[in-house]
Amino acid sequence: MDAPPSLLELDSQLSELMRAQTWIEELSNFYGLGDETRFAVQLCMEEALANVVLHGYRSEPGHPVIIRTWVSDGTLYFAIDDKAPPFAPSEPVPPNGIGSADLESLTPGGNGIRLLRRFAGSLVYESLSDGNRLTLGFAVPSNKGASVRP
Amino acid sequence: MTFSTESMNGDITRVILDGRLDIQGAASIDLRMNVLAGSTRFLLLDLGSVSFLGSMGLRSIVLPAQAIKRRGGKMALLNPVPMVEEVLKASNIGEIIPIFHDLDDAVAALR
Repeated sequence: MDAPPSLLELDSQLSELMRAQTWIEELSNFYGLGDETRFAVQLCMEEALANVVLHGYRSEPGHPVIIRTWVSDGTLYFAIDDKAPPFAPSEPVPPNGIGSADLESLTPGGNGIRLLRRFAGSLVYESLSDGNRLTLGFAVPSNKGASVRP
Repeated sequence: MTFSTESMNGDITRVILDGRLDIQGAASIDLRMNVLAGSTRFLLLDLGSVSFLGSMGLRSIVLPAQAIKRRGGKMALLNPVPMVEEVLKASNIGEIIPIFHDLDDAVAALR
C-alpha cells in the first residue's frame, strides 16, 4: 500500500471536511488502526476542523487549514495549523448539565472540546505568531509505531 | 444517513437512523427531526445503525429533545453502539436523555 500524503491543505469550508475524512481513512488503513482508535481519530479531527472553520474563521471561506501528520514513538500525530484569531482549548469547559437532571440545562453545542479531551490520546495547543496549532496524538499498533513520516 | 419512522402503540414515534451522524449526517436529518419534535409527544431514537456521532449530531439530538420536553413529551435513545454511547456519555447527554438497550424497556419508559 502506498503511503498517503503527510500533508493536507483545506479551505475553510465545512464541505472540505469530507476530503479530510477520506485522507484520515487512508491513513487509518495504512497504519492499521483498530476500530476504536479509528473512531476517535475521525471524531477528534471532525471536531477540531469544524471548530477552526466555524469559530476560528467564523464560517468564512478562503482561509487556509493545513494538517500535517507523522508517527513518532508509537503515536500518530495530526498538527492542525490555521491563521485564525487565538483559540484556547486549555481553558476550562463549563460542565454540560452536570449536577442537574434537567434537559434544559444541556447546551446543544459546545461539546467539541469535551469530545476532543475525552477521545484524543494527547492534545496540545500552541499559539503561533500568525495563528493557532492544535496537535492531536493517537496510539498506533506497535508494528506501525516506528517514527516515520509517510 | 437514512431516516425512517415507525408509529408504535402509545403514541410513540420510533425514528430509525442508519449511517453517520457527522456534520453532513446531522444536516440531513435536522429538518425532519425538528418537524417531529413539533408533532410527536414520545420519540424513540433508534441509534442501533448509527456508526458515528459527532458534536453536530449531538445537537441534532438535544434540540428536538428539548422541544419535545417543552411540549410535555419525552425522548429516549435506543441501542447506541459502544463508541457512540461513549460520545453520549462524554457529553453528559446520556445522563439526561435516557439510553436503553432493550426496546421494551425504552417503550415502557416513554409511556
